Amino acid sequence: MAQFLVLMGGFVWLVWRGVAEMDYRWQWYRVPRFFYKEVDGELIAGPLVDGLWVTLEIAAWGLVFTLLIGLVVALLRLSDSIAGKALATVYLEVVRNTPLLVQVSIFYFVLQPLLGFNNPLWAGIVCLSVFEGAFASEVIRAGITSVARGQWEASASVGLTRLQAYRYVILPQAVPLMLPPMAGILINLIKHSAILSFVAVFELTTEARNLVGDTFMSFEVWFVVGPMYLVLTITLSGVVAWLERRVHRGRSA
Amino acid sequence: MRSRRKRLTPLDFVIFAAVIAVVAYVGYRVESVLVYSWDWSAIPGYLFRHDADTGAIVPNLLVLGLLTTLRIAFWGMLLASAIGIVLGVARTSRRLFPRLVGWAYVGFIRNIPPVPFLFLFYFFISSQILPVIEIEAFVGGLSDGGTQVLELLFGPADLIVNFLSGVISLSMMMAAYIAEIVRAGIQSIARGQYEAGYSVGLSRLQTLRYVVLPQAVQRVIPPLAGQFITLIKDSSLVALISIQELSFMAMEIAISEQRFFEVWIFTGFMYFLVCYSLASVFNRLEKRAAAARR
Repeated sequence: MAQFLVLMGGFVWLVWRGVAEMDYRWQWYRVPRFFYKEVDGELIAGPLVDGLWVTLEIAAWGLVFTLLIGLVVALLRLSDSIAGKALATVYLEVVRNTPLLVQVSIFYFVLQPLLGFNNPLWAGIVCLSVFEGAFASEVIRAGITSVARGQWEASASVGLTRLQAYRYVILPQAVPLMLPPMAGILINLIKHSAILSFVAVFELTTEARNLVGDTFMSFEVWFVVGPMYLVLTITLSGVVAWLERRVHRGRSA
Repeated sequence: MRSRRKRLTPLDFVIFAAVIAVVAYVGYRVESVLVYSWDWSAIPGYLFRHDADTGAIVPNLLVLGLLTTLRIAFWGMLLASAIGIVLGVARTSRRLFPRLVGWAYVGFIRNIPPVPFLFLFYFFISSQILPVIEIEAFVGGLSDGGTQVLELLFGPADLIVNFLSGVISLSMMMAAYIAEIVRAGIQSIARGQYEAGYSVGLSRLQTLRYVVLPQAVQRVIPPLAGQFITLIKDSSLVALISIQELSFMAMEIAISEQRFFEVWIFTGFMYFLVCYSLASVFNRLEKRAAAARR
């Protein structure tokens, strides 16, 4: 432990030395204004708070659409339909084998004008959902297939239709298994939303880049924004760990 | 589940109809509403061009960008694996110090989005680390032959600092993910293997070297191959810090030609081609290796 603290101290010292050598002028006193301003006794949210809000909005809506897309694709892959399987496979391969940045560009520069709407935020949300939907569909499929075959046979033998079997037998067993990886997907949504700064969606990273451009306080801004993301994702990681433990306990009990 | 006969179901027809409807709508939008005239003719010129001086056909921006992307992925994977293996082994150490270092690194990197990390880190590397090792002086002092070898390995000599900053930032990021793969690989080896190693008198390091790692490597290679493809895809992010790889070139061309549709669709196709073929090759190799083990 002591060694670790010494190492961390050394690292901080190196960073500090490096910055000092650049003649960098720290202006931490300007940072609170990035969060809030007081105008006539009223509090107004600063750019970073606005950005954080948009990031959370993207993550929340993104999760809804991700789950929808993931569920549809997973069911298509598990279905008997030839066209359904083909469609799901093409979707998965295309999404998995192209970079998110290129997908964002295609949604923004190609699909948006093509379909005639002009709303970068929603183009971004849909694009992220399409991207994460591929991973969500794998999670859902794995959850469903992990339910033993006998469960299907049992439901068929008591006369349940396929839909009823899903509803009453399969999903109640599969969903708890899916929860931890789904929370991981939520974390990824938050992380990947930063890529939308490329196409003028005003989320946290965009606001930070604008602040750096306006004030040249790159270190202060990134040293504040990084921990903001850290707090968000580490909290969620904690939730994932907790969920995993619970699922584990539920299974072994 | 039901028997799987190959037969068209009503769902198939619904899907066919939906796909046709979407294609028709998009076609209608392009032809009648936007009245967009597709022009793919500029693309081949950006792949290869005719050099007027030498009369030879030389690669142009898009192919150069793709080569840079592949170089970044290659060197990035080497560097990231080196860092990742050290960190992964450190995370399974019995001593607290290496475990904490590995834990802190992995936790830090994996919980910060790549884009802010790249911005912050690029700033550091290009202003702090690279000037110290005086890479530009080294490149300037090379002979002609040396420069040629260097350009083959690292791309154009005048962009080498730019290239190295991209590689280093990306591999610092990727190393955290590789560390987790390595850790999982090592931990998947049963305890009995360690005990067997100790009982024949090997030290901890020797046990790791001769007993555990050879087995772990087998399990680690398939996820590492996947990570390589992820690295190719994520290398597009360094376009945001002006490293001149494929996505960066696409951005530039799309703006200068005002052909956003064609350029971005084609760029996506190029990435797809590379990643998909790599994925298929890795899959086949993995199957063959699995068959050989049996």
